[in-house]
Amino acid sequence: MPRPSLVPLLATALAGICLSPTLRAAETAAPSQASPASVPRPTTVVAQEFPAAQVDAGRVLFGAQCGFCHGRDAFGGETGPDLTRSTLVASDVRGDKLAPHLRAGRIEKGMPAFTLPDDDIAALVAYIHEQKKRADSAVGGRRAVDPSDLQTGNAAAGQRYFANACARCHSPTGDLAGVATRHVGLPLLRRMLYPTPGGRDDPSRVPQTVRVTLGNGQVVTGKLAHRDEFTIALLDERGWTRSWSTDRVKFTVDDPLEAHVEQLAKYTDSDMHDVLAYLQTLR
Amino acid sequence: MSSPTFKPCAETRRHRFAAACRPGAWAATAFVSLFATFASAQEVDPRFLLQPTTDSWPTYHGDYTGRRHSPLKQITPDNVRQMTLAWAFNTGQSQPIKGTPIVVNGTLYLTAPDKIWAIDARTGRQLWQHTHPTNTAFHIGHRGAAVRGDLVYLTTPDCQLVALDARTGKPRWTVEIADAKRGYWCTNAPLIVRNHLLVGVSGDFDNLPGILRAFDPETGKPQWTFYSTPPAGTANSISGGATGGQMWMTGTYDPELNLVYVGTGNPTPVLNGPVRPGDNKWTNSILAINPDNGELRWGFQNTPHDTHDWDAAEVPVLVDAPFAGKPRKLLLQAARNGYYFVLDRVTGKSLLTTPFARANWAKGVDDEGRPIPIVDKEPARDGRLVSPDESGGTNYRSPSFDPATGTLIVSAHDAYGIYFFKPEHGDTGWAGADYGIHGKGILRALDYQTGAVRWSHDLHGGVGAAGVLTTASGVIFTGDSTGNAMALRTTDGKTLWHSGIGRVGNSPMTYELDGRQFVLFGGGSVLYAFGLLPAEGKN
Repeated sequence: MPRPSLVPLLATALAGICLSPTLRAAETAAPSQASPASVPRPTTVVAQEFPAAQVDAGRVLFGAQCGFCHGRDAFGGETGPDLTRSTLVASDVRGDKLAPHLRAGRIEKGMPAFTLPDDDIAALVAYIHEQKKRADSAVGGRRAVDPSDLQTGNAAAGQRYFANACARCHSPTGDLAGVATRHVGLPLLRRMLYPTPGGRDDPSRVPQTVRVTLGNGQVVTGKLAHRDEFTIALLDERGWTRSWSTDRVKFTVDDPLEAHVEQLAKYTDSDMHDVLAYLQTLR
Repeated sequence: MSSPTFKPCAETRRHRFAAACRPGAWAATAFVSLFATFASAQEVDPRFLLQPTTDSWPTYHGDYTGRRHSPLKQITPDNVRQMTLAWAFNTGQSQPIKGTPIVVNGTLYLTAPDKIWAIDARTGRQLWQHTHPTNTAFHIGHRGAAVRGDLVYLTTPDCQLVALDARTGKPRWTVEIADAKRGYWCTNAPLIVRNHLLVGVSGDFDNLPGILRAFDPETGKPQWTFYSTPPAGTANSISGGATGGQMWMTGTYDPELNLVYVGTGNPTPVLNGPVRPGDNKWTNSILAINPDNGELRWGFQNTPHDTHDWDAAEVPVLVDAPFAGKPRKLLLQAARNGYYFVLDRVTGKSLLTTPFARANWAKGVDDEGRPIPIVDKEPARDGRLVSPDESGGTNYRSPSFDPATGTLIVSAHDAYGIYFFKPEHGDTGWAGADYGIHGKGILRALDYQTGAVRWSHDLHGGVGAAGVLTTASGVIFTGDSTGNAMALRTTDGKTLWHSGIGRVGNSPMTYELDGRQFVLFGGGSVLYAFGLLPAEGKN
């Protein structure tokens, strides 16, 4: 299902603070959080007013085109993020950022590219800003998961669990030093479980590396760019995408996140809360 | 009954026999000659729907059984490698195609929210299109149309049922299915059973009773309304106060038993379990309903007291086959909760319950064949790690039953999500929060009697969006998670053909015209028709 992202600029808030041992802040934007309800709602850079008729038109369009994923009120829906917490929305001035985003979509996340007339795009922008204003003035968040909700674990037990299950790849004094100062609450929990909340295609994903051996014996290595049953593609050291039919080459893929997938089947709920409690001590 | 409306028999028949004599078209001959005599008029009347011809795909599932298994054999494991594009039709929509087109009388009907197109099924040329007025209801997807006589039916996001002239697209009448202002919306492909048109709706974001309605297909006059859950506030409600249980997928039908089988959706409020104690019948259930009066014959609940959005709306597949050595009328369902169910569809009694996808939410199976939920896996303030995730072990994408191998081919999803609920989330609509953590799409062939996985085929990514079609020649048509339409061998799941048309978001279907078998996939917002190349010198 779609996990649209309007928030590539969330990077500024959450940049590169993945649990991964390899990801660096400069490398890429941090991924979207479906509803990063446990971080404060970002402040709109420029206060904007829109005519009521335009907001109403936007409400109609938003309900029909965007509401299933983002909620009719834009406060987050079945699969889409709460747009009132989006840094992209907060930094947008009358559609300068939102309009190109709506037109381009995030196809890989399931957000379609909207081929709408300018007036419709403007109406959507007006409605989204209006809803953000409404959210900013409201108290509480009805779909929020607050950091205080997650404090049921035992840090000492979590430390023991970590030593057995996580220490093979991670270090509390290395890659995870200070992790709790960079992430809190739900985003920390989600990254702990799988460090790429946007999924396999998330641009901030810890790079899988691939080693391709061509028919002539030449070896090419790089970051995995795409893999399906028929095609293997990588980014070489100069940034070019190279792809081959899988039946023409031999290749091996190293995916450091597979260990997280295996761990999902092993965690009990209390293990999960214990490890979170331990990570929260890494300040 | 409706008047005959379609093309002259003689011409259609002549073309068909001519085509059947072409080199390479021999395989279709048997079916063509069997059906040509009465297929050529192709009035879509109740008798036709009981025995659809191979030059049609007249209902969402292709026929009443929901097996999505075609007798066509022209495209085989040996020649499918030569399958190539016959035509493509671009809907021009933002949204991918999620429905299955229907085909009658050489015309294909394709739908999207607020849209229906009639297309020449031989060429992909548009004959007409109809656009429903703009409305505020959710435009999340659309499953397809239904046709009967000279009318074609479109359900709209704002819950209108529109009957159009199948030849011209001219609207004849419109009736309201449900009140969209209350939060209902509609994606449903209606099911025609004799003089009843059955249609269900959706509505997860408000506390709304689950309704299935029947209308007179000729006049649109309402016939009956079935409630899977009583209206909120009903005293002594069997649902324990739950609303929901929407029947948003097209059901199946057994004409001998005169029973329609339909799956019901999750209860509302969705993630808030404490406010609706008990099993919450008839949410997350497979129901057998008399199409003449809307009366419930039996119900089987596959998730008691669901708190994870695991609709039981997946296709109830009807199969007549031995079970434990005895011939039975079976109902098979691979459900969103990750379990595979086999029922006796005469009585609704369980014959088998076993997981087919990763599932950590049940501690066993009760005497009635229902998984027993683990209370600690209900959404909680501090979060619960639950498998499958909200999108489920499978979903609306159709499975297919292949009789030769005795397997149900299912697009499965091994997934984990975290689920939260606290009283502050309230008791309306979603009432909670959940997040997918990780999922992997895998096509699995289940032994229909045991649920044992005969083979698996990695879909190379997260959840798949494509349904499954099987044909009597032993070929599976489906799509992977990344962007390929695929043909696989039914016996072992080996890949025979693929085409990178974009992510297949619907359930493929097939038909033959002029001796040529077409296989259709939605790739993104474009409908692609593939087939073997016609013989040289022919079109």
